[in-house]
Amino acid sequence: MASPALQLLTSTAIFSAPLVLGGLGALTSERSGVINIGIEGKMLFAAWAAALGGWASGNPIVGLLAAVLAATVISQAHWALTQAFRIDHVISGMGLNAIAAGATSMLNKSVLSRFAGTRAAALPLPFFWVGAVLATVAVAYVLNQTRGGLRLSAVGHDPEKARQVGLKPVAVRFRALLATGLLAGLAGSLLVSNAGGFTDNMTSGRGYIALAAVILGGWRPWPTLAACVLFGFADALQLQLQGTGLWGAALPPEAWQCLPYVATLVALMAKWGGTKAPAGLGRF
Amino acid sequence: MDAVTQNFGSVRALDSVGLEVQKGTVHALLGENGAGKTTLMRVLYGALQPQSGKVFLDGVETTLRSPAEALRHGIGMVSQHYAIIPELTALDNLMLGAEGGAILDRKAARARAQSLADSMGFQFDWDAAAAELGPAGAQKLEILKLLWREVDVMILDEPTAMLSPEDADALYASLRGLADQGRTVIVVTHRLSEVTAHCDHVTILRQGKNVTDFPVGAKSQHETAELIVGKALSPSAARSCRPGEVLLETVRLDVRGDRGDVAVRQVDLGLRAGEVVGVAGVDGSGQRELVQALLGVRPVLSGAIRLVGSDITRSSARQRIALGLRGIPEDRHEEGVIDDHDLVTNATLGHQRLAAFRRGPVLDRAASRALAGKVATMFETKHSHLGQKMKELSGGNQQRFVNARALAHEAKVLVAFQPVRGLDIEATRRVYAALGEFADQGGAALVVSFDLDELLEFCDRIVVMHSGHLASPPTGHERDRTMIGAMMVGTA
Amino acid sequence: MNLKLVWLIVAGAGLVWAVVASTGTPPPDALREMFSGAFGSPQGWRETLKESTPLLVLGASVFLALKAGLFNIGADGQFVVGGLAAAVVGLRVTGPGGVVLGTLAACLAGSAWALLPGWIKAYRGGHEVITTIMMNNVGRLATTALAAGVLRAPGQQNAETPLLDASTTLPNVVQDGAFRLNWAFFIGLVAVVVTALFFSRTVAGFETAATGSNSRASLFAGIDVRRTTLAAMLVSGAVAGLAGALQVFAVKHQFNADFSPGYGFDALGVALLAAGQAWFVIPSALLFGALARGTSALSIMGVPKGLNGVLLGLVVLVFAAVRYRKEAANG
Repeated sequence: MASPALQLLTSTAIFSAPLVLGGLGALTSERSGVINIGIEGKMLFAAWAAALGGWASGNPIVGLLAAVLAATVISQAHWALTQAFRIDHVISGMGLNAIAAGATSMLNKSVLSRFAGTRAAALPLPFFWVGAVLATVAVAYVLNQTRGGLRLSAVGHDPEKARQVGLKPVAVRFRALLATGLLAGLAGSLLVSNAGGFTDNMTSGRGYIALAAVILGGWRPWPTLAACVLFGFADALQLQLQGTGLWGAALPPEAWQCLPYVATLVALMAKWGGTKAPAGLGRF
Repeated sequence: MDAVTQNFGSVRALDSVGLEVQKGTVHALLGENGAGKTTLMRVLYGALQPQSGKVFLDGVETTLRSPAEALRHGIGMVSQHYAIIPELTALDNLMLGAEGGAILDRKAARARAQSLADSMGFQFDWDAAAAELGPAGAQKLEILKLLWREVDVMILDEPTAMLSPEDADALYASLRGLADQGRTVIVVTHRLSEVTAHCDHVTILRQGKNVTDFPVGAKSQHETAELIVGKALSPSAARSCRPGEVLLETVRLDVRGDRGDVAVRQVDLGLRAGEVVGVAGVDGSGQRELVQALLGVRPVLSGAIRLVGSDITRSSARQRIALGLRGIPEDRHEEGVIDDHDLVTNATLGHQRLAAFRRGPVLDRAASRALAGKVATMFETKHSHLGQKMKELSGGNQQRFVNARALAHEAKVLVAFQPVRGLDIEATRRVYAALGEFADQGGAALVVSFDLDELLEFCDRIVVMHSGHLASPPTGHERDRTMIGAMMVGTA
Repeated sequence: MNLKLVWLIVAGAGLVWAVVASTGTPPPDALREMFSGAFGSPQGWRETLKESTPLLVLGASVFLALKAGLFNIGADGQFVVGGLAAAVVGLRVTGPGGVVLGTLAACLAGSAWALLPGWIKAYRGGHEVITTIMMNNVGRLATTALAAGVLRAPGQQNAETPLLDASTTLPNVVQDGAFRLNWAFFIGLVAVVVTALFFSRTVAGFETAATGSNSRASLFAGIDVRRTTLAAMLVSGAVAGLAGALQVFAVKHQFNADFSPGYGFDALGVALLAAGQAWFVIPSALLFGALARGTSALSIMGVPKGLNGVLLGLVVLVFAAVRYRKEAANG
């Protein structure tokens, strides 16, 4: 029997890792100026593909690759919608989320139902935990120390001026959304690894929470990781404290489940990180 | 470079324009707004493809399909709107687009940047955000960006529009240095005095045609001005101004800027009925904050503002509008109009709470339409019908519309920020004539402009802003250009 | 652009074809079944109009906010807390008085749920999409906890309140065979008409639309942009709360944990399709109601209800590609 402290630590890792990967995925696109409400749908599609790949092949690597491929396809669709069709970023993101939720639910019943009762092959959880930290290191390095990162930030801050310098915002964002696809794919694959399979709407708003973490982290990689871990910790605590009362009164589990949402609202009220938004968010 | 020639057939913007620029010279391109200066330069910079015509570089025909290709041929342009991203550091801005490798080597970049800056006599804090740069610093950084890319032909679009006379002189001195090194500088401008003082050769464009080329000194300033406008200039009618009671007054006004600094300091202003007062100053001297505080869209830190006798220091913009205060904001597109709405809505904008335009909580749409008709005709805004969307109008016509709106209904005091930006000489005169008429009928106008000559020509009185302080030129020097120029940079 | 649009439509149709075919139903059959399910019978019409009613009111709610430049993704949460408030009041005050008081309580609750996002947007600059999503989650959890806890019907296992007394409900206007039409539908129409008049006739509507289109210019025009933003959010929340009350008094006659099937996105779609014209909320709510009813009918044939989300998303994307394009940058 593990000690409560160790248990808390493990479940914090379990809850925060998908947020970190999804959050970094949202961060790369937001830093390039593409608002990423659609991260939720990308993670959901990735989870579905991870389950399909894992179940159909029995090989965890295939599951992972399928997830990355699926998330990349959705991410580049998002690129096409915002950059080629020039659709408002929030509208296109919400549209993709609705399609992802509906389509994965249908494809779950039609394609995945035959695997019910078995576990989908997936990489072990510690792989993703290490991956989440390495991804943070990598994103921070690329953003701050490379040409690609500098150009990405420039486009995110002011696409028009970046264009004057000779950059092509549309092309820069294409690459940024490729990174989003990779990271969202990892996040979706991790969800399947956690749950052992796919269930309808299994992201259940984690993409939105990851996006909130990006905002709290002021669109910087390490603070975003910190915010994700904070949310993960709140979730873990909630699990551990379930059924526990507060000052003698019995509290329903929902009260604890509200913690990450309330934390986000409080943080936005207090304006943490809120002023560092890339100035070119949603602009062309 | 020996010769650059552009021929355009049947194009409205440019009509078979030829241009020849000698290597190692500072060449001025003059013309009114809309004469085709910027269009011609955009062709040369690869941003526009001409329907017909050729470009020769050092005698060799060259096709420039994009700004990037122009850069590869050693042609670079500094646009009037600086391509500097305020959130990035000065060094990152310098490197951006020409980083030299996939991994940034900031150490080497800094060394090269410093040596380039040293060669020009510039000073930079490389790690500071570019937002900290003033207009002169930004202009210098833009020039360094071209040198960083090893450009031989530099095009500068209105490089001194935001600079004080002193900074402008320093800028031309560095341009001269570049020309002496064998580089070629093309300056697009409308400031004749600078051309006479600093350039080698002049080309004048009018209505998309090359009117004439001549070496500087071959023609007088007056002759040059006539060539630009195309007809003999009538001296502007001098207004006799009889100031009445004080309509707008500030007492030791302090206002904060966006960065938390005190941008307006202890300003005492008295604007009298019958006056058109010009506020001269270098961009960023506090004019923006003063205008916004007067209009009620920026809070006052301390001091007081009085409008027609009542204290409006803490009044909302709405209350000020009700008292007869009108504004022409700096950024027409962002602050003046609603692009997606029609002309009727845009004419009503600002007037919507006034009794004449509503019955209780309900809009009086007939009154709005009548107002829109009046606004559109005042300065002959070109439009097809009043239901047209604002964004379908050209920039100049939008400016006319905004100017007219400010004067259209029960205006007592007008506060205007660069009301004639983007307007040609004819329209500029019309607008100032209307301001004069407005003043004659008992109104008062405060006009901020970065163009001292414009203010000297049209205003009854000039005050100067420098680093937040407002001052009047000493008696006897009220219209002394040198004195006012010195006050603008704080060396008077 | 037109070619690109064709591509988008082809891709969307292909996606629908693929997901429908994967369930084993031939897509043309599915389409036929959907249409006849929504419009083919009095029963179909009844359900279509029933599905359209909350969308009509929520569409007006989201439309209002959208005009003020706000994406009220939170209409869903405001709808849910409104529904709960209506049920709570309706259970204590019976008769028509209960309906009126319950409706008022629902509007207040919806407004209260919009207060925080509105305030954060207006005075803190926090994006309303994130805050309203958070409020939706809190609203869903809080109402579920209450319905499963203190408000649970005696002897019930599920999270649901007792049923309202028959006197505390909204009656049907028409009851003809299988066809029914409730007063709630007409109240929804009135909500749309009032919204349309507000924007075309009133000074407040003028200022709200100005704020939504260019808040900076509105500031110079003497409009209190922050107050207008907050007010728009509060009114939008109140209208969403009204939708919750109508759902309780006309359809559900109680509050339960599955009160909203996720109307938030549907309502956003309805408002977007209205393209700035309040009147168009009516046809677009009918369209979305028909889609919901049609996919419901299809689910009997074994095509899962997820199809509704796919269709809604595609309709919104194709429409947005035509209407909500950003201006191309110069140069």
